[in-house]
Amino acid sequence: MFEFINTLLIGITAGSIYSLMAISIVLVWRSTRVINFAAGGLALASSFVGAAVLEKTGSFWIALPLAMVAGAVFSAFIEFFFLRPLLKRSGDKGAEIFLPIIATLGLLGIIKTILSYIYGERIGSLPPPLSDKGFIVSGESIALSPMRILILGIVLLLMISLTLIFQRTNLGLSLRASSFAPEISRLAGIRVDLIRTVGWAISGAAGATAGILQTTNGSGSVAPESFEFSLLLVFGFVAAVIGGIESLVGAVLGGLTLGIILAIILMYVGGSLVFIAAFLILILILLLRPQGIIGAKGGRRA
Amino acid sequence: MIRTTRRKFLVASAVMAATALSLSVMPAQAFSPRSAEVGVTSTGIKLGITLPMTGSASYGYNQLPGAMKAYFDYVNANGGVNGRKISLVVKDDGYLPKKAISNTQDLIAKDKVMAIIGALGTANNKAVASAVNLGRRGIPSLFINTGFSGFNDRKAFPTSSTILPSYIMEAKMMSKYVKDTHPGKKVCLLYQDDDFGDDALVGFSKTHGNLDFAVKVAYPSLSQGVAGVPDSWITKFKAGGCEVQIVFGVASATLYTILAAVKAQYAPKWILGSVGADIGSINPATVPYVIGTTSMSFMPSTVDPKDEYVAQFKEINTKYNAGAKFTSWALIGMNTAFIAVQALQAAGKNPTRKSLLAAIDASGSKFPNAALVPLNYSKTSNVGLNGYWFGSFNKTGDLVPNDTFTYTVYTTDSGTGAVEKSTYSRPAMPAKGLPN
Amino acid sequence: MAVVHKLHVTNKHRFIGFVLIGLMVYILSNTVDEWKAFQGATIAVYVVAIASIILLTGYTGQISLGHGALLAIGAYTAALTQIYLQLPVWICFIAAVLVTSLFGAILGSAAARLSGPYLAGTTLALAVGLPSIANQFSFLGGEQGISFDVGWPPLSLGEAFTQYKWFFWITSLAALITLWWIQNLLRSRYGRTWRAVKTNEVAAELAGIHVARSKVLAFTVSAGIAGMAGALLAATINNVSPSAFPLALSFSLATGAVLSGVNTLGGVMIGAVALVAIPEIASLVSDRWSGSESVASLLPDFIVSALLILTVFLAPKGPIENFRSRHVK
Repeated sequence: MFEFINTLLIGITAGSIYSLMAISIVLVWRSTRVINFAAGGLALASSFVGAAVLEKTGSFWIALPLAMVAGAVFSAFIEFFFLRPLLKRSGDKGAEIFLPIIATLGLLGIIKTILSYIYGERIGSLPPPLSDKGFIVSGESIALSPMRILILGIVLLLMISLTLIFQRTNLGLSLRASSFAPEISRLAGIRVDLIRTVGWAISGAAGATAGILQTTNGSGSVAPESFEFSLLLVFGFVAAVIGGIESLVGAVLGGLTLGIILAIILMYVGGSLVFIAAFLILILILLLRPQGIIGAKGGRRA
Repeated sequence: MIRTTRRKFLVASAVMAATALSLSVMPAQAFSPRSAEVGVTSTGIKLGITLPMTGSASYGYNQLPGAMKAYFDYVNANGGVNGRKISLVVKDDGYLPKKAISNTQDLIAKDKVMAIIGALGTANNKAVASAVNLGRRGIPSLFINTGFSGFNDRKAFPTSSTILPSYIMEAKMMSKYVKDTHPGKKVCLLYQDDDFGDDALVGFSKTHGNLDFAVKVAYPSLSQGVAGVPDSWITKFKAGGCEVQIVFGVASATLYTILAAVKAQYAPKWILGSVGADIGSINPATVPYVIGTTSMSFMPSTVDPKDEYVAQFKEINTKYNAGAKFTSWALIGMNTAFIAVQALQAAGKNPTRKSLLAAIDASGSKFPNAALVPLNYSKTSNVGLNGYWFGSFNKTGDLVPNDTFTYTVYTTDSGTGAVEKSTYSRPAMPAKGLPN
Repeated sequence: MAVVHKLHVTNKHRFIGFVLIGLMVYILSNTVDEWKAFQGATIAVYVVAIASIILLTGYTGQISLGHGALLAIGAYTAALTQIYLQLPVWICFIAAVLVTSLFGAILGSAAARLSGPYLAGTTLALAVGLPSIANQFSFLGGEQGISFDVGWPPLSLGEAFTQYKWFFWITSLAALITLWWIQNLLRSRYGRTWRAVKTNEVAAELAGIHVARSKVLAFTVSAGIAGMAGALLAATINNVSPSAFPLALSFSLATGAVLSGVNTLGGVMIGAVALVAIPEIASLVSDRWSGSESVASLLPDFIVSALLILTVFLAPKGPIENFRSRHVK
């Protein structure tokens, strides 16, 4: 029983990190109908910024917000200089849907090589700011620690504040309007282009948070050639699809679901299946419940 | 329609022709006309290595080439080998067998090296040996950094030799150590799910080390970086009530295990395999966590104040290795280069691939070197070192035998032979660390 | 699958073109050294792999970022056929094509219900997940993989005939046959159906085309060709291991397809040559101007990524169509 509870707790922590990446993917999708495959690279770059700030200031509480700002700036930069002109040019109704995907892949490659060039074999260090020793419950340490509570807290805070922004503010209304009906929004006086850049920026901040927490929760160090960040992107995408790709709450639920399922597979089935499991879950979800676990009925034809 | 199709074809053919031209016009690789042997000219000898220089499995090992080059530079500055300067071509394989194969093909066909030296990794070198067909083509792959016992087959790998003691030996010695120092305790094992781990399992088996495990966990290579994976290992170990924990994995897996254990407040008696124990040099923040844990080595401690090799290699490292820290892997790299220089010297005035291999067979067991256990190269054996001493990590994260640096060295074989105290006494170092 | 070839006059031209290219490869193989022969073989493997992506994306509009996984299935099938059934090499290649097609049909059935980013992401997850299965089942040989050996060149070709040259011959022949077959297929009823689906799904549906079935068929054919590429790749490295099919392979194949121009098969050589030549050029550049090892190892990836972005912006339909639309119109 103890083992099972710990498995759930491990899954929830890992899943909440996937959730953040899923939020990042969902935000970009909602604002420009593009899957940002460079999101993992942006998270990586932001984590390096975080590590550098931590080294200078010694404080995680300065490093995290600055990394989020850096993530937002990187992401907005990409939207402004690459995606916006690209989408303007190939306006012919999704026929060239291949192009944004390829462009983000190219950007991923560029981000990674630049990071490798700058950092080489050095690593960025991001040790946990709070104790990551598990709490003791009836003489046994459980897989829940102040650090893990912090991770969960950050994820919930982001989800709730973003949901509020989307539902209660003018900015949120504009964000939603420009993604669903860009032309009408333009006529209604919404600056669609600017709003899209804002969407990307928020996405970049969420991705940066995912990167920082992934590193802190993992080895405490981040390297430019990190396989972990490729996986983070894939798991984040799977989580986003499980959640219906449109919804922030869905993204979080999707991340948690994926985290828990993977933790159970790891514990009770076998380590080698962890990579393929994400694919199988994705296929099952797409075939059985294409609208995601909380999405509305409807096709899945982007 | 016809016009455009034809044009398309014209373009395609033009591209094809352009390729053909560019391929044949590209400058031919430098190739000395006077040399009778690939990779050997009147002024130089070219060697190559493929190993992980980047990626999560590269930590520690990526210090090898720098140290090897430093030693070669030191020899070159002192006249080289019979007047020839040694160069080393380094290729990064990211611990991926496919990349190791293509790197080796590059080294042989493009860079035209005389021999591969110090290549790292069990799976990588097995894949290379069979795919590149080194044996049939007579290309030496010397002092491979693996302890996989399967290379101990001279028929299958006639031109390969390993340098690390086999994983079977290591596991047998661990078994004896655990039974002697922690009798009756519950022992658990984490190992890599490939030949590296399978070899260890043979060493722990009934017929060899005869050590029973309460919980065994196999991890696939690279899975250690996935969020939650190391936590799940620890959960299993804790549930099994483990008191002694053996980690038989690469450095990154060991690192993740230790960090996950700290989180779960899992504090068994740790025994870290030699391959992955040096985690303090990857992430200095982990040094406090490894103080007092047990590991093993065949080299003298890098902080041994009275070892002549350590002193000499440290000096070379300072001078020729651009500020790199003198770690256990730097020591191993430098020692490998040191042995290689002796092999090249023994291969005659004009060394060839054949004479190099013959020289190692004939006199490889007599090459002086820093290791505290003997080399076992001969006509019938391509296995290098065969023993270990046990020690623990001190406050600076360095492995030491004890406060007085006195080593108790054990030796054994890869079969069912007993683990015995070694009687080997290391020959004195050639003056200034320059063999002649 | 019975394909009805319609022999136009142009078809004869094309056939002559293929023979000429074959002749050129033959002459080339006799003049280049061992290393370049190996690069030639690698180019031929990429040609087949990229052609399979172009067929899928350019002609039916489906996006795959996971073709590396399909190559893996082909490669493992070929090797397993050889190891466990001891069948001749050419049967191993056929087995690779058939088994991968079958897998493609299954995957395609799921894929036909998805589109755009979903399909891209799903295939991406496949590329990440599939190779690791080799660790789960011991007959797949784990991390170091299993061997696949097309044998040494027959002695009748002479002593000096190197193994790399042999690879060059085999892969080039396979590439030429595959391309010939694909371009005939694209000219058949199936090819026209696919193009109709890509141009406008609704219109195609109204015209009586079974859109889903047509997409599954395209996926099946593309997978079969990818399986062939996988078996060829395994042949050139004598080995099949999970590490031969990393995410990076899938990405570089997609890159190759974009550089070639996803909409036409004619440019397939451009992408394949680029993938092989770029690392080569990069190492020349870094040797001459920097000498730094890190630049040498990073420059190829950087150039490929930069080219990718440039192509997307400057020649989104591929260099050949770009050229054509500028000069023929």
